Amino acid sequence: MSAEVHRSFDCFGGTASVHVRAASIEEGERAVVQARSHLLEAHRRLSRFRGDSELTRLNLDPRREVPATPLMRRLAAAVVVAGSRSGGLVDATLLAGIVRAGYRHSFDDQTPLALSEVLSGFSERAPGRPSSARRWRAISVDDEAGTVTRPPGVMIDSGGIGKGLLADLVAAILRDHPTYAVDCCGDISIGGSAGRERTVLVDDPFGGDPVHELSLSRGAVATSGIGRRCWPGPDGRPAHHILDPRTGRPAFTGIVQASAVAPSALLAEVYAKAALLSGPEHAAERLPHGGVLVDDSGEVEVIAAARPLSEALVRS
Amino acid sequence: MDSIEKQQHKREAQRRLRAQRQRAGQLRGRVVAISLLAFALLWGVVFVQMATGNDPVLGNSPSTAAVASHRGEPARRNRAGATEAEAIEPEAVEPEVEVEPVEAELIEAEAAEAEAIEAEAEAFEAEPAPVTTSQS
Repeated sequence: MSAEVHRSFDCFGGTASVHVRAASIEEGERAVVQARSHLLEAHRRLSRFRGDSELTRLNLDPRREVPATPLMRRLAAAVVVAGSRSGGLVDATLLAGIVRAGYRHSFDDQTPLALSEVLSGFSERAPGRPSSARRWRAISVDDEAGTVTRPPGVMIDSGGIGKGLLADLVAAILRDHPTYAVDCCGDISIGGSAGRERTVLVDDPFGGDPVHELSLSRGAVATSGIGRRCWPGPDGRPAHHILDPRTGRPAFTGIVQASAVAPSALLAEVYAKAALLSGPEHAAERLPHGGVLVDDSGEVEVIAAARPLSEALVRS
Repeated sequence: MDSIEKQQHKREAQRRLRAQRQRAGQLRGRVVAISLLAFALLWGVVFVQMATGNDPVLGNSPSTAAVASHRGEPARRNRAGATEAEAIEPEAVEPEVEVEPVEAELIEAEAAEAEAIEAEAEAFEAEPAPVTTSQS
């Protein structure tokens, strides 16, 4: 068995990486190159910052039912899954609110505000709540017709859900290799036929050493937080990209970062974001397979799994 | 031709036939003897050559030299060592000159194989690289 091949590259507004151990180094390199091109192509098609992306065209399409590629349909279906699995807390139809808050372009080339600066702009903690409109419910996918249906004007934000989805899709391509990991800017899918454990370090949102170490042989981990993409808002207060669906404004729940373990990266992303939006009192309930929470004082809480991941993996 | 003349011709023919058979037998005997001698002689030469360690198959054939030079440092060291020994005492060392590189190559091949197995085991033993989950 060969050594693992690694490749990191810019994608999804951050750094993605692919790690593959195959029967030979050459085979591993081929797999990594293939995975990379899949991710870059998906980014090109699902980025809301590109005028020519399929997502932008869908969001601007005046028709109710719009022809869509299988990838676009998977994203639309993932938006519905995220809404239903989080009770509406993870709502990927809040694009208008994000744009209103000032997130109109990619912040790839800008240094984000420091987390402490962001926190100084918020005084009261409040858990997020689902939007009463629940627009994600109006989205449906018809695979036979090859279309996505939604009321015109309901716009989808690929965001974290897109990253989780792509980590899962590329992981499915790599699943027969002895070991692999697909890291879409923090949404990580792990597995491999060898069943080897891989260490996952949980980043410190305040910039220190990793706050925790997880170990997984198969499954996924994702992290959601308010410190990575933040900017001075139109009202002068700091803003970030995780909105309270009810108010449509950046949420400040008291949790600044949540990491979740799940059978898939899409679910891990949903659990992590739902935990962050739920606030310290209910966050643990959103992490059925365990995770790590960091609050605004920097305190780290490790949540044990209420349900073993292995059972969920067997079911999935 | 009368009967006496006939009998003389018959005896003459029988004598010639006997002489012919005798010559044929002598020739056959010589061929067999020469073949056996040549066979024994050839094997004798091979036996002596093998007994003195000069196996022509295991000698300094071009293919062996190519392998030795291709394999690199340990083989080169051996060949260099053999040359030094030859310079000191050529006759006494000569058999070793032929045999040692072969043994060295075998040892080297085994070592390379062991190294490959060890590297494979190390690769298998090695933990997959850690990954970091951070805010996306």
